[in-house]
Amino acid sequence: MNFALAAVLLPLLAAVLALCWRRQAARLVWLSTLFSLLLALAALWQVVTFGPASMQLGGWQTGLAIRWQLNELSALLLLMTALIHSLVASYSLSQWRDAGLSADFWPLSALLQSALSSLFLSVDLFNWYVTLELLGLAAVALVLLSGKKALQAAMRYLLLSLAASLCYLLGVALLYGHYGWLDVPQLAVAISEEPVDHRLALWLITAGLMLKAALWPLHVWLPAAHAAAPAPVSALLSALVVKGPLFMLYMIWSQLAGPELAVTGSWLFLLTGSMALVVGGWSALRTPYAKVMVAYSTVAQLGYGLLALGLMLHLTDPAFTQALFIFVLAHALAKTSTFLAVGEMQLRLGGKRLSTFRGASQTMPLAMFAVAVAGGSLIGLPPSGGFVAKWQLLLPLWQHSQLWWLLPVILAGTLLSAAYIFRLVVLAFNRAKPVRPDFAPALLPQWLALLPALLVWMLAFASGSLLSWLGG
Amino acid sequence: MDWNSWLPVFIVLSSLLPGLLIFSLAEHRFALRTTLNLGGVLVKLLLVAWMWQGVKAGEDYYFELPFLPGGSFILHGDALSLQFVLLSSVLWLVTTLYAIGYLEGSPLRSRFFGYFSLCVSATVGLALSGNLISFVLFYELLTLATFPLVVHRGTVESLRAGRRYLAYTISGGVVLMLGAALLHSLTGSPVFMPGGYLSPLLAEHSGLLMLAFVLLITGLGVKAALLPLHGWLPEAMVAPAPVSALLHAVAVVKAGAFGIVRVVYDVFGVDVMQQLDLTWPLVMLASATILYGSWRALQQQDLKRRLAYSTVSQVSYVTLGVAMLGPVAAVGGLVHLVHQGVMKITLFFCAGNFAETLGIHKIRELNGVGRRMPLSSIAFTLGACGMIGLPATAGMISKWYLASGALDAGYPLVLLVLLTSSALNAMYFLPVIYRIWCLPAGDWPAPKQLSRRFETHWMLLLPPVITAVLIVLMGLLAGTDLSPLSWSKLIVEREFSYD
Repeated sequence: MNFALAAVLLPLLAAVLALCWRRQAARLVWLSTLFSLLLALAALWQVVTFGPASMQLGGWQTGLAIRWQLNELSALLLLMTALIHSLVASYSLSQWRDAGLSADFWPLSALLQSALSSLFLSVDLFNWYVTLELLGLAAVALVLLSGKKALQAAMRYLLLSLAASLCYLLGVALLYGHYGWLDVPQLAVAISEEPVDHRLALWLITAGLMLKAALWPLHVWLPAAHAAAPAPVSALLSALVVKGPLFMLYMIWSQLAGPELAVTGSWLFLLTGSMALVVGGWSALRTPYAKVMVAYSTVAQLGYGLLALGLMLHLTDPAFTQALFIFVLAHALAKTSTFLAVGEMQLRLGGKRLSTFRGASQTMPLAMFAVAVAGGSLIGLPPSGGFVAKWQLLLPLWQHSQLWWLLPVILAGTLLSAAYIFRLVVLAFNRAKPVRPDFAPALLPQWLALLPALLVWMLAFASGSLLSWLGG
Repeated sequence: MDWNSWLPVFIVLSSLLPGLLIFSLAEHRFALRTTLNLGGVLVKLLLVAWMWQGVKAGEDYYFELPFLPGGSFILHGDALSLQFVLLSSVLWLVTTLYAIGYLEGSPLRSRFFGYFSLCVSATVGLALSGNLISFVLFYELLTLATFPLVVHRGTVESLRAGRRYLAYTISGGVVLMLGAALLHSLTGSPVFMPGGYLSPLLAEHSGLLMLAFVLLITGLGVKAALLPLHGWLPEAMVAPAPVSALLHAVAVVKAGAFGIVRVVYDVFGVDVMQQLDLTWPLVMLASATILYGSWRALQQQDLKRRLAYSTVSQVSYVTLGVAMLGPVAAVGGLVHLVHQGVMKITLFFCAGNFAETLGIHKIRELNGVGRRMPLSSIAFTLGACGMIGLPATAGMISKWYLASGALDAGYPLVLLVLLTSSALNAMYFLPVIYRIWCLPAGDWPAPKQLSRRFETHWMLLLPPVITAVLIVLMGLLAGTDLSPLSWSKLIVEREFSYD
């Protein structure tokens, strides 16, 4: 538990220090991400060896104190957060002067990491609210780093994010007013003992979280915001920020909804998930802008998360929990790689449109390779992490013939993602116009963009331990 | 460490590692790149030869790595996988030679040879896959590794062909994956075994098994160019000649055909196939593809397109032989896997030589080439004779076994299909041969002097000469121990001797 606590506090400390000592902000935050990666690894090791642990912050007894819980799932998500942050920080460090990234990036990203890590460790409705609020504000501020052109997208993001928080808070207040608990396990016990109609509260919370996580049809703010932000920020937003509310949705629905309500909720998730896959994929295929395409791909990919969540509630099969979180992990890695590589290529080749990438397989082969490999995971080709998630999703489905209609949906989603990824790849294989002889883009940022793609590509070979940790 | 279990891994790595190294080489490092390429081939051939004698002696090469629940990642060298591994390694050697000569002085060679090696690694991995999951993995990797080769020229047509290729193969791959997932959800993915592993499920899940079979064959049929799914193959002709040669003889279409062999014999097994009545539809489909491919080939005026449709037709002989489920027909199908590869690669090498040396692409431009390029023309003629199935060539052995197998398994109508197809083969190849040898030299579009000694660059000439000699040798020495025929008999002996 101490390791996990340190993994939350270290970035917070780094954020404060970076604000005070702006000249060294970049190096400070970069170091803190590396150390928090080690701490997160240690926390995972601790959980695997000694079992789950929980702690009461501030020393109050249960019910008053903020409870943190460290189990395999939260340790894994903590590790994911630290890993993505250290990758993005390394990329930004190698790159931020060229990319014109403001120094404000560093304290904000450290704050983001701290907020998200504590979100994954919390099991308390109000603490979640606080971390969610922090997460949202840090994210909006990060989008604003792009300057004036991002103003509109950031304002929309901010307003919707505030509305979502209010929605969530209202739901929490209703629950608290009736049961007097904020701690999720306690609340679950109270609800099972005295099952009154808490449907309204749950729907309010769900609406707020779906808006925050940009789940279809509440995704309208995402493409503009993610596309307008600087590349490292887009990577953080797509890979991590939307996963926080998704995790909360999972926790709240799996613990607080009774079996009856769970089935009703599952229909919502199954339908919106299917729509997200198809509509998001279609929008990604139609857009002429590269980063908008990647952003829509996030909308579409979150559809798999929704499907897994819906199936988990519908069929109560642990395989779907595994599918959900392997998908979360695989998508985080793949999206980091895609956004960093696409951003790097936009920066060097100069242009936002897809046509910028004509011939990129010759001019910037490494970055293009990163997009293709990460794309393999988004499509779900073996042996990538996306493949394992999809496989876990598909396998139990064959046993439940009443849900057969999900198969064509998943098939369509897969083909659409293949279509938009390969649309880019085919362009890149166009013979390039000869470039200036002094065109020699730095290799280090490209390698850093490729690294997460290689990790996710091999994920299937680690699926044994992943599945057993997530098996529950 | 147990060397025997690592041998399949080394065989895959022997082309994978050179491939990865080649990617990082600068364009002008010709010598190092060539050394890596040929070094990889030679190491692979040595390892394969070692495995060949081991398998012959009854040795088992089995490598396992945890992968998914219910299905490990398995590489397994058995007689059937070795048939395909041997074919791809030997043809990789000649194609590498050819490609070095063909691409001399052209740009992006490091990228080309890198993907070329990846492509062979995927093919060999696919051949050595020990269960359905591993097979699916390499099947998808093969799609990804071949795509950059198809669009290598980067022109508008090649990109169009590439898009089409991807649309077909990715969809096929997804369908195959669905089928594999369905079977996996029923029994997991155990190692391939003669007689299949699905008979315990027959009583309860026969409907699902049929569905799985349809999904698997559809997914594999895309690469094997079975009838409604063959559209990508003629388009992919815009690729450079060595790529077409590799695609048609070894890598892609053969991967599909090989997968069908695996699914029929080692997943479903003969008994289950018969009880589910799946044989007839497959035989019909293969026959229809054979006739349709030959018919379309007859109408093509472009040499490479004619060869492409001929591939559509010829590869389905493999499916046909396997689908009839009789041992004799199986020998015919399996031996054709090798024979078709060697014959088709010869034809493509020669077509590439005609195009490179004289600028010939259309069949009507071939007039009198025989005197200007005698060796290539002889090789082409031998390949064509093999395709028709004339005596003393490899093609005749395949057709002989297929025909007697059809009678043996009780499909007399298949005999008619074989005869019609052979007649069509003759109709589309003999005019070409007639033009090459008997008509006076015409106006060749773009004659070039590539060599002072030979008719063309020696690196372009040597590979088709080698494979043409192989065609004759495989035909004449079919009875000896070293021939693909006796190896096919060994496979059939092992596949049919289960209980």
